[in-house]
Amino acid sequence: MSGHDSKYFSTTKKGEIPELKEELNSQYKDKRKDAVKKVIAAMTVGKDVSSLFTDVVNCMQTENLELKKLVYLYLINYAKSQPDLAILAVNTFVKDSQDPNPLIRALAVRTMGCIRVDKITEYLCDPLQRCLKDDDPYVRKTAAICVAKLYDINAELVEDRGFLESVKDLISDNNPMVVANAVAALTEIQDNSIRPVFEITSHTLSKLLTALNECTEWGQVFILDALSRYKAADAREAENIVERVTPRLQHANCAVVLSAVKMILQQMELITSTDVVRNLCKKMAPPLVTLLSAEPEIQYVALRNINLIVQRRPTILAHEIKVFFCKYNDPIYVKMEKLEIMIKLASDRNIDQVLLEFKEYATEVDVDFVRKAVRAIGRCAIKLERAAERCISVLLELIKIKVNYVVQEAIIVIKDIFRRYPNTYESIIATLCESLDTLDEPEAKASMIWIIGEYAERIDNADELLESFLESFPEEPAQVQLQLLTATVKLFLKKPTEGPQQMIQVVLNNATVETDNPDLRDRAYIYWRLLSTDPEAAKDIVLAEKPVISDDSNLLDSSLLDELLANIATLSSVYHKPPETFVTRVKATAQKTEDDEYAEGSEAGYPESSAHSADGPTSPPTSSSNDAHVGATRPAPAPSTSPPAAPVPDLMGDLLGMSNNSIVPVDQPSTTPGPPLPVLLPASTGQGLQISAQLKGQDGQIFYSLLFENNSQIPLDGFMIQFNKNSLGLAAAGPLQVPQLQPGTSVAILLPMVLFQNMSAGPPSSLLQVAVKNNQQPVWYFNDKISLHVFFTEDGRMERGSFLETWRSLPDSNEITKDLPGITVNGVESTLDRLVESNMFFIAKRKHSNQDVFYFSAKIPRGVAFLIELTTVVGTPGVKCAIKTPNPEMAPLFFEAIETLLKS
Amino acid sequence: MGIFFSKMFSSVFGNKEARILVLGLDNAGKTTILYRLQMGEVVSTIPTIGFNVETVQYNNIKFQVWDLGGQTSIRPYWRCYFPNTQAIIYVVDSSDTDRLMIAKDEFHAILEEEELRGAIVLVFANKQDLPGALDDVAVTEALELHKIKNRQWTIFKTSAIKGEGLFEGLDWLSNTLKSGGG
Repeated sequence: MSGHDSKYFSTTKKGEIPELKEELNSQYKDKRKDAVKKVIAAMTVGKDVSSLFTDVVNCMQTENLELKKLVYLYLINYAKSQPDLAILAVNTFVKDSQDPNPLIRALAVRTMGCIRVDKITEYLCDPLQRCLKDDDPYVRKTAAICVAKLYDINAELVEDRGFLESVKDLISDNNPMVVANAVAALTEIQDNSIRPVFEITSHTLSKLLTALNECTEWGQVFILDALSRYKAADAREAENIVERVTPRLQHANCAVVLSAVKMILQQMELITSTDVVRNLCKKMAPPLVTLLSAEPEIQYVALRNINLIVQRRPTILAHEIKVFFCKYNDPIYVKMEKLEIMIKLASDRNIDQVLLEFKEYATEVDVDFVRKAVRAIGRCAIKLERAAERCISVLLELIKIKVNYVVQEAIIVIKDIFRRYPNTYESIIATLCESLDTLDEPEAKASMIWIIGEYAERIDNADELLESFLESFPEEPAQVQLQLLTATVKLFLKKPTEGPQQMIQVVLNNATVETDNPDLRDRAYIYWRLLSTDPEAAKDIVLAEKPVISDDSNLLDSSLLDELLANIATLSSVYHKPPETFVTRVKATAQKTEDDEYAEGSEAGYPESSAHSADGPTSPPTSSSNDAHVGATRPAPAPSTSPPAAPVPDLMGDLLGMSNNSIVPVDQPSTTPGPPLPVLLPASTGQGLQISAQLKGQDGQIFYSLLFENNSQIPLDGFMIQFNKNSLGLAAAGPLQVPQLQPGTSVAILLPMVLFQNMSAGPPSSLLQVAVKNNQQPVWYFNDKISLHVFFTEDGRMERGSFLETWRSLPDSNEITKDLPGITVNGVESTLDRLVESNMFFIAKRKHSNQDVFYFSAKIPRGVAFLIELTTVVGTPGVKCAIKTPNPEMAPLFFEAIETLLKS
Repeated sequence: MGIFFSKMFSSVFGNKEARILVLGLDNAGKTTILYRLQMGEVVSTIPTIGFNVETVQYNNIKFQVWDLGGQTSIRPYWRCYFPNTQAIIYVVDSSDTDRLMIAKDEFHAILEEEELRGAIVLVFANKQDLPGALDDVAVTEALELHKIKNRQWTIFKTSAIKGEGLFEGLDWLSNTLKSGGG
C-alpha cells in the first residue's frame, strides 16, 4: 500500500487533464465512458484535449457501441494532430471491420475514411477491401463512400489497390442504396480526376435506371446527376432514358425534381422529334410550378434555376406566367427573381396582363422593387415591338405620379427605348422635360441630358435646359459630365448659334483645364480638335446614325448557359457562375500519354508538323503554385502572316553573332557549347516564338539550358517561367532573366535550378511540364523529360567492399532488371569514360561465359544510391541492366537515363 | 483448500482487474497467446498494428490483458501503457535465435522503466512446438534473466498453438499477485 500513499506527495495539484487521464484509465467501464464523454464535451467547446490521445484510444476496444462512437469521434478530430500515435488505433479498426455487427463494421470503415493521416492510410486498405465485398449492403455502401474519401487522400493508392474497379462493380449491386452510393463515390472521384474514371455504359445505364426507382430520394439525386452527364448514343436511346426518368418529376423532394429536370434537359438536346420535345416540355411545367409553392428559400433556388431553364426552353413555362406574379408577402429576393422571369416570359399574348402587374408593383413601397418594376416595363418595351407603345403609355402614367425615383427610373428606360425605336416616340420628350428639376441621380440625369442632346433640334429650349445643368458642371459625377460634354457638342453642331457657342467654350474649358478626369479630358480634346479642324467631319462623326440596341434580358451567353444548365440543382445554377469560379479543386496532374511519341520526336529533331504540336498543349495543369497558369487560354493557331519557322540555328554562331543580346548575368556560368538543344515549343505552335531547352548538370549544379528564338513580327519581353510539380521537385532557383527579344533574334539562357521544391505525389515520372509566358503572347506550355543522369552526383563512387555489402543488404525485391535490346557497347574503355563523366562510377568487371558483366555505382541528391549491373556481349546489340536501390520506384527513370547515356 | 483460496482472492482483488501487459518482438506469438487464454482456441492473426485488450478470467481473478504490437515502429509507444501495470508477460519466439539479442535488449530496456518498477515478470519461451526451439534454460541464459534483481520473475516453456504452458504461467501470476508481489 506504500504506492498508494506516495501519490499524496506527487500529485497534489491536479488540473482537468490529469483528472480526465486518471478517469480514462479507471478500472470501471462506466467511469471510463463518462470520462470519454467529458473529453468529447471539452473538445466540442474548443479545449485542446489532444494530450489524452492514447488514453482515449485505449478505450476504443469495447463492447459498448456508444463509447466506441465517442472514441471514433475523438479520433476523427485529433488523429491529424497526433499522426504518430494514430497508428495505435489501426488494430482496432481492423478488428472492428470484422465485427459480427454490421453497424460496427460500417462505423469502422466510415471513420477510417475520415482519418487523413498518411502513415495509417495504407493499413486501412485491407479492411476497406473486405468491406467492399461485405455481405451487408450498409457496409458496402459505406465502403464505397470511403473509397472516394481515400481517393482524396491518396489517389494512387486507390488505383493501385483496384478500389476503383471494386466500386464500379458495386454499380451492378443488387441493393439500390449501394448502387446510389457507388455512383456518388465515383462522381466525386471523377470530379477530382482528369482521367475518365466513371463512364456510364449501356450496361451500367440499365442498372442505374433500375436502381433509380428503388433507392432513397438522395440516392435518386446522385443517380440522376450521373445520368445527366451520360451522352446517349442516339435520339432513340435518349428518349428511352427520359421516359424511364419522367416519373421522378412527380417526386415530393425538390432536389429530385430539379435533378430530373436537369437530366431531361440534357438528354433533350439529342432528341430530334419535335412532338417528343413538346410533350416533355409540357410534362416539366407542373413540377416546376409546384416548386413555387414551397418555402421562400426553396422558391428562390427554384426561380434561379427556372431563370436558366426558360432561357434555353421558353416554351416550358410560356403559359405559366401567372405563377410568377409577385404576392404581396413574398420576400424581396423572391420578388426580384420573379420579375426577371416575368420579363423573360413576357410575350405579345400576355403583355397586357404583365403590364398591369408591373404597374401595380411600381406603386409598392420597396424602392428597389419599384425601380426594378419600372425597368422591367422598359425592357418589355424593348423586347416586344408591338407592345412598345403600351409600355410607354404605362411609363408616362407612372411619371405623372411624380414619385421621384419612379420618374428617374422611367427616364433611364425611356432613353433605351429611344435607342431601340429611333424617331418613333419623341413626342413624349415634352412630358419628360417637365420633370427635369426633380432629377438628382447621376444615371437619370445622364439619360435626360443624352435625350436633350440627341433631340436638340426638336426641343425649342434645349440650350436653356442644358445651360441649367452646366452651372453645376464641376460638381457633377463623371458620368453626367461626359454626357453634358457630348450633348453640348451635339447642340452646337445642330444649332451653331451664339448661345451654344458660348456654352461649348465653357464646357470645353471645364472639361480640359479644370478636370482631373483623363477620360473626360481626352474626350473633350477630341471634340475640340474635331471642331477646330473640320466641323463638317465632326458633324458626320458626332451626329452619325446609331445602331439600334436590342433586348438584353437574355444576358448569359450560350456556352455559359450550357454549362450552367448542366449544373442545375447545384450552387452553380443558383449563383449563375460556373463551379470552377467558386470551388477550388486540385486535380491530379495529367499523366501524359504522348510520352513515347515525345521521345521519338526528340530524336528526330522535332519535325514542325509532329503530332505533338498538332495536339496543342495538354490541359493546363491546375497546380496552385503555378501562378503563371492562372487565366491562361489555349494558344490560338499561329497567324498565317508569321514567317516560316527558322531551322534550329547553330548555337555557337548565334552566341558569337549576338553577344549583346545574350545577356547572361555575370555570376552565372556561361553556356558551354554542345549539341543543339531539342526544340520543345516549335515556332509554328508558339506564334513565332521557338523555345529549345534541356536540363544540364554542370559543376555539381543543375541548370535548365534554354534558347529563345523570336521569329514573330513583334518584340517580346517580360518572360517568366514556371515548372509544374514533378517527381524531383525541380523548380527555378531565381527569376528567368531574358532581355527584350527583338524580332529575328535569339537568346540563350542558363537558368539555375533547385531540387525538391515542388514535389509531385505519386510514382516517379520523367515528365517535366513547363510554362513560359511573356507580355505579348498567351502562356505557352510544353513538356520536357527529366533525365536522371543529369542529377548523378560526384559522391556516387563506392568502394568494392561497401558495394558488395550494400548489394547484399538490399532485399531481392529491390532488384529491378530491364533489357535494352537496341543498345550496343562497342569500346569498353570509351564507354566507361563516358559513364564516369556522367558520375556513373565503374566498380568491377567480370566474365560470365561469353558475356561481360560490369558493375557501377551512382547516386542522386538526397543520397539515393543505385547499384548497377550491366551484362552484355561487347560489339553485339542488347544490354541487360539490373539495378538495386533502396528506392526501386525510381527504377523506370533510371533506365531511361542509362539508355540515353549508352546511346550517346 | 481451493475454496478457501478463491475466497481469499476475491477479497483481495474485489472486482478489480489486474492490469497485465503482453510484450515481445513482432511475430513472438503475443496475440495468439492472448486469444488462446481468452477464448481457448487458436485464431489466425495478422501483425498487430496497435493493440488488443481483452479481459481474461482465471482462478477468480480478472486479468485485463493488453497485447501490444511488437513491430519496431510501435515499440516506442509501449511506454504509453506502462502506468498502473501489475505484471508483464514477455513473449519470446524461442526458435528465432537470430533475434534473441534484440529480444534481450528490449526486455532489459523495459525493466529499466521507472513506471514498471513494481511489476512482476513472466517470460514465455514460446513456440516450443517448432523444431530447433531453445528450451527455458537456454532462453533464460540468452535473456540474461539471472541479472534481474528486486523483482519476482519466472519463465515457462509454452506453445500457444498447442496451448501448453500458458495456464501454468497464469497460475504463477495469480499466486504471485495474490501474495502481494505486485
